[in-house]
Amino acid sequence: MALRRDSVVLGVLLAPVTIFLGVFFLVPLLIIAVFSFLTPGLYGGVEWSFYHWNYGRIFGWADGIEEIYEPVYLQILFRSLAFGVLTVALCLVLCYPVAFWVARLPERARLFFLFLVALPFFSSLIVRLYAWLLILKPSGVLNETLIALHIIREPIELLYTPAAVVLGMVYVMVPFMFLPLYAAIDNLDRSLVEASMDLGANRRQTFLKVILPQTIPGIIGGSVIVFIPSVGNFVVPDVLGGAKGLMVGNLVEQQFLSARNWPFGSALSMLIMSVVLAVLLLATARARKAGGQA
Amino acid sequence: MLEIRGARRIFTTPEGGKVTALDRVDLNVDENEFVTLLGPSGCGKTTLLRAISGFEMLDGGTVRLEGADLSKLAPFRRPINTVFQSYALFGHMSVARNVGYALEVRGVDRAARERKVSDALETVGLSDMGSRRPSQLSGGQRQRVALARAIIAEPRLLLLDEPLSALDRNLRQQMQLELKALQARLGIAFIFVTHDQEEALTMSDRVVVMREGRIEQIGTPREIYRHPRNRFVTEFIGETNIFALTVDRIEGDLARARTAEGTCLSLPAAGRSRGEAVTAVLRPESLHPGAEGIAGTVMRSVYLGSDLVIFVRPEAGGAEIRVTTRDGADAPMTGDAINLAYDPAVIHILEDR
Amino acid sequence: MTPRVAQMGLGAFSLLFFAFIYAPLLIIIVYSFNSNPVNMMLWDHFTLEWYTGLFGLSERGPEIGDQNRSLYLESTDQMLHALRTSLTVAAFTTTIATVVGTATAIALNRFRFRARRFYNGFMLLPMMMPDIVLGIGLLIFFVTIGLNLSIVTIIIGHCTFLISYVFIVVQARIAGIDPALEEASADLGASEWVTLRKVLLPQLAPGILGGALLAFVISMDDLVITYFIAGTESTTLPVFIFGMIRRGVKPEINAIATLMILASVIIAGFGLWLRARKTD
Repeated sequence: MALRRDSVVLGVLLAPVTIFLGVFFLVPLLIIAVFSFLTPGLYGGVEWSFYHWNYGRIFGWADGIEEIYEPVYLQILFRSLAFGVLTVALCLVLCYPVAFWVARLPERARLFFLFLVALPFFSSLIVRLYAWLLILKPSGVLNETLIALHIIREPIELLYTPAAVVLGMVYVMVPFMFLPLYAAIDNLDRSLVEASMDLGANRRQTFLKVILPQTIPGIIGGSVIVFIPSVGNFVVPDVLGGAKGLMVGNLVEQQFLSARNWPFGSALSMLIMSVVLAVLLLATARARKAGGQA
Repeated sequence: MLEIRGARRIFTTPEGGKVTALDRVDLNVDENEFVTLLGPSGCGKTTLLRAISGFEMLDGGTVRLEGADLSKLAPFRRPINTVFQSYALFGHMSVARNVGYALEVRGVDRAARERKVSDALETVGLSDMGSRRPSQLSGGQRQRVALARAIIAEPRLLLLDEPLSALDRNLRQQMQLELKALQARLGIAFIFVTHDQEEALTMSDRVVVMREGRIEQIGTPREIYRHPRNRFVTEFIGETNIFALTVDRIEGDLARARTAEGTCLSLPAAGRSRGEAVTAVLRPESLHPGAEGIAGTVMRSVYLGSDLVIFVRPEAGGAEIRVTTRDGADAPMTGDAINLAYDPAVIHILEDR
Repeated sequence: MTPRVAQMGLGAFSLLFFAFIYAPLLIIIVYSFNSNPVNMMLWDHFTLEWYTGLFGLSERGPEIGDQNRSLYLESTDQMLHALRTSLTVAAFTTTIATVVGTATAIALNRFRFRARRFYNGFMLLPMMMPDIVLGIGLLIFFVTIGLNLSIVTIIIGHCTFLISYVFIVVQARIAGIDPALEEASADLGASEWVTLRKVLLPQLAPGILGGALLAFVISMDDLVITYFIAGTESTTLPVFIFGMIRRGVKPEINAIATLMILASVIIAGFGLWLRARKTD
């Protein structure tokens, strides 16, 4: 690798990113951390004194006089985690077989289907979400079709349910799971599969003992990429979920844009951030372990 | 012309260990000389080459070209050009623009540039390829483009970093001869890096054998082959037989010596003394079936076309002896008892033991 | 289960998967041509009026009444304004993120320095940070330092994470470029800057273009971060559509959505063409 020594050139190349991300990325994150411990101002903003009720409201650290603890925030947080995990699991189950199928197609067909998977990347998230609004609403495509087929008589409630939220998240996240999985499966050394069969393993054994372990990095990568935007999502529950589909992202949005309780919103954001960091650390540790075995 | 004094380079591995890539290396290269740096991978030959071209900073020592110190000079200011192992042709430029690059960045005007480019392309036999892209050329043609590009600015010294390693055997041998001829025609010094001993012996005026950051021996190909200084050089330059001997007695011009197992050899007596332990080298082609000599049994033979290599176990025991002989009707067969004759004068004694 | 049956099952499942991805989009497209204004899921007959209406050319004036008509026109103006904002933001963001991201990728791949490992990890963070966290962080930051929310804040916000995307794409490309090319250039007498201009940047061009395309697409599509840091005068298209959907579903949205799907197909096709060119 080239060993350059011109430190002026290096400085010129590196200064913009350092300044930009330092000011507009690190400082805002730091402010969130600081604000999450401050007292909310009367009309938005903050007062510069420590306030325990931001986190207290979530975890039950109440003074017992004016502050009454309700577990609803913790419930919503857990619901968000559950939705995130469910989204990852469903994406995985959907994508793995398809990635396998696509990887074995002849060149031209493979490129065509890869293009089909990648296309949603280029199309608007809000448009794709909107489509499900049309499908799921009481007078929507699904209800009308089911009624026309005489399967149901009255429209059933599909929209504004937790299922609708998870469905919507799976729909928008599916390409993000597919591509890392496909990359891992496509990289799979075919001769390993043949060797396994040659040594007497049947298809199931070969899959469990050879194929699956080899694609673990893709599975981890895809899961992380899907989980992180899912757990903090507020657009999908906003469009497709009702009160029952409320996620922690919606809480944050409310604190900032309607309730104007910035410190509480910051505390909630800190929770999202710590979940994400924990997942990232876990994933890199796993990936390192998997890499070490290879 | 080129003088390297006390060149030292120490790498720090990612784990924090130190690797000495160059350890106090001294080397002189004369005008119009073809010098080859030869050694196994990791011996420091590429590091030395990169220190000359300027891509590697030395931790100690100096590199001088015609008296001028190059050590602090950036690569693009050194009157030295390199033919890279991977050729490093610019894929986004035509062959002609690749070849003319050194002139382009020096601001040479277009007309002069085009003239020189067509000269350089002609020199390497690619006159009508100028408008092509490197990706449209064969391996051998790319090699020639890389060569043309490196000589167009008339460097004082041309460095070649294993430039033939990607070519197949026939082409490689042809290019070896062409490179040698080109060097003679240009009249500049070439420093050639390779790990292929045959290549080194074929092309060079002098060969520099390196190991673990040190120069083991510098000499003409004949010196290196006939009189290797130590065991490493001996074994690196071709297959050979090495005997650890103790001198029994001196008889006139000959010294009689034997291995631990009891195999007897005769050596030139000059410089030998009784009881001395020596390491002797006897090349496979210096041994041949004869009436007397080392007695043994043919264990197996390997057919190599014109030659036959047989492996003989000495009667007294010890390592098998490798012998190159002509194939023919009277060629020794596996299981034959055989005597290996040799001229004691060709036995070479190593300096180390 | 024989291998053949298993293979067919896999194929059927896969085709269902692609149906799942594309059916919703097809539904939007089909219904964008449905003239039924009351229940747009009930097919009436083919019409282009939602498209003409989008551009203020609706011929249904008397039928929907003057008041409604002015409402349509107003929202049309707003939509076109939002589209202009989106394009402006995307243009600036793409330029800035591409330059900064490329410079960073070159610095981290072609220079050795102490903080290299730190930077390599740090560059991934903005991509990995949930957009809502980044959005509110920037909101608080801008309000705290007293910067008015405007198109400028949107551009800054988009750059914070798009620099990382460009960086990743260019980095992947640069890693595949033989460093010997740059050494050869230096060896032949080119200075650092000349090498950068004549060798590295042309070699990187497909990667840079790919990174820029990605940045443009993501910038055009970003909703969450923009939602928090867009001022009232600087709504982008996704935020505008989000607002429309929140206020209730109107047939015009189908037409906008269809046009956006069309645009995305064109951009994706361009991306594909770029990739195909890159490989030869």
